[in-house]
Amino acid sequence: MKGMNERDDSALNLSKAARVSQEDIKRAEDRRHVKRHREERRPMRLFWVLLGPGILVMLGENDGPSMISYATTGASYGIGFFLPFILLTFAMAYVVQEMTVRLGAVTKKGHAELINERFGKFWGWFAMGDLVFGNLLTLVTEFIAIRAGLGFFHVPAAVSVLGAFLLIVAAVATQRYWTWERIVLSFAIFNLIFIPVAVMAHPVASDVVKAFFTWGPLPGGVNAAFMLLIMSNIGATVTPWMLFFQQSAVVDKGLTPKDITHGRVDTALGALLAAVAAIATLLATVPLFTHHVDASNFQGADFAKALIPHVGNIGASLFALGLFEAGIVAALTISLSSAYAFGEVSGRSASINSPMKENIPFYAFLFAAAGIAALLVLIPNAPLVFITLIVNVIAVLAMPPAIVFLLLLVNDKEIMGQHANRILGNVFGIGVTIFLILAGLAYGILTIFPHLLTTS
Amino acid sequence: MKNTDSTSMTSSHANYAWIHEVLEPDQLASTKPLFGRRKLGATTLALLWILRLYVLLMIFLIGYQVWSAFHAKF
Repeated sequence: MKGMNERDDSALNLSKAARVSQEDIKRAEDRRHVKRHREERRPMRLFWVLLGPGILVMLGENDGPSMISYATTGASYGIGFFLPFILLTFAMAYVVQEMTVRLGAVTKKGHAELINERFGKFWGWFAMGDLVFGNLLTLVTEFIAIRAGLGFFHVPAAVSVLGAFLLIVAAVATQRYWTWERIVLSFAIFNLIFIPVAVMAHPVASDVVKAFFTWGPLPGGVNAAFMLLIMSNIGATVTPWMLFFQQSAVVDKGLTPKDITHGRVDTALGALLAAVAAIATLLATVPLFTHHVDASNFQGADFAKALIPHVGNIGASLFALGLFEAGIVAALTISLSSAYAFGEVSGRSASINSPMKENIPFYAFLFAAAGIAALLVLIPNAPLVFITLIVNVIAVLAMPPAIVFLLLLVNDKEIMGQHANRILGNVFGIGVTIFLILAGLAYGILTIFPHLLTTS
Repeated sequence: MKNTDSTSMTSSHANYAWIHEVLEPDQLASTKPLFGRRKLGATTLALLWILRLYVLLMIFLIGYQVWSAFHAKF
């Protein structure tokens, strides 16, 4: 323990007198690999063991509804403005998510736990309740995407939804963060399955390159529907679960201030991969725009069916599998983010390294969150269309409190020390935050009161 | 270190010395420091009150949308 200051020494003495739990042992086993690779100067291996939360949160955000939204955009606007716009939204997401990496690595506490400690129980429980409610509705939309994706292959709804639920249970039942993370990463990488579909759609390469430089064309020009779509996309760039999940995952993985650079690269790589997958999804549905197919009311599997004449059966099957993948990865990460927040606010261990028999409420909460959402999807005549509509509104309206607390915490020098935001970080962080909040609020209000849009 | 039968063990045991070498002191579940309440300045207090009002607005907006949806349905 070379180079530790006095404060660390006293903390070390305290910990030596303390008790070691199974959660600590599992985390220490993972950190032993980090220590070894760092000492042996193996940068690629070190990055391999440290990556995870950033890629998962960004590819998790490319969830079922997001991929359908990108597909609708491609079918409605073709190649043009939205290609560079998608890159911009993920750049903004990086600015926000990077702060959660620092907060988790420095404080070793999750977002809900820090809000609870620093601002009191009211805000702690509010943050948790707000997140869990929003997550429950979002999980419903993920199961809808799973059902739609597998429905293309004639898998019965009950089989696909219950199968996905059992997969969530099985991944968590490993009771080991590392194993859970690698399972979800192995699914998440299939988010890139949209790339071959985009290639099969034969987009004109020169048009794609031109769009990135000119931010155009924009068919239809700037109108009310376009502005609503823009605000919806900006407002949904970062959603509350992303903040809570990444910070808690950084803590559960055991990242420390020494790992912040790797955490940043992990997050940037995740943002890049997610942007590529999103752009590929948009490009895959451009043939529907070219052939004037009205896709405005398409549901999940409708896109895959409509794409058969343009990308063939294989391309359409890949598209449907992509929808399934988007839903399952988001369901795995979002259900865990709910359980993390519950564990943190209720004073329990918020870790999937903790043994199930000793932390039953944490695991029960996770299974209940996923189970209730799965059941809702299977209930005949459940108001699923309404849930899909309201979930975006709740996400953007719930964002301001979560993101304001993020900025307050990351500027709190008592807990962040030298890792607190500096002037440049705050200029970017506060600027992006205000932009996201205003766009989200405008979207939320205009969705609830659509007549404001038509009369303005 | 696969032998993890008991729930927790005193770390004075030599077998667990390696844990202190790889984990930072505040990473152990039992020794996480409690940061405590933050002393709030006037600006932060004002911001939190604005957030409280915002939460009320948010609840109203979501409630209104739910009410509108059911009103339109029946």
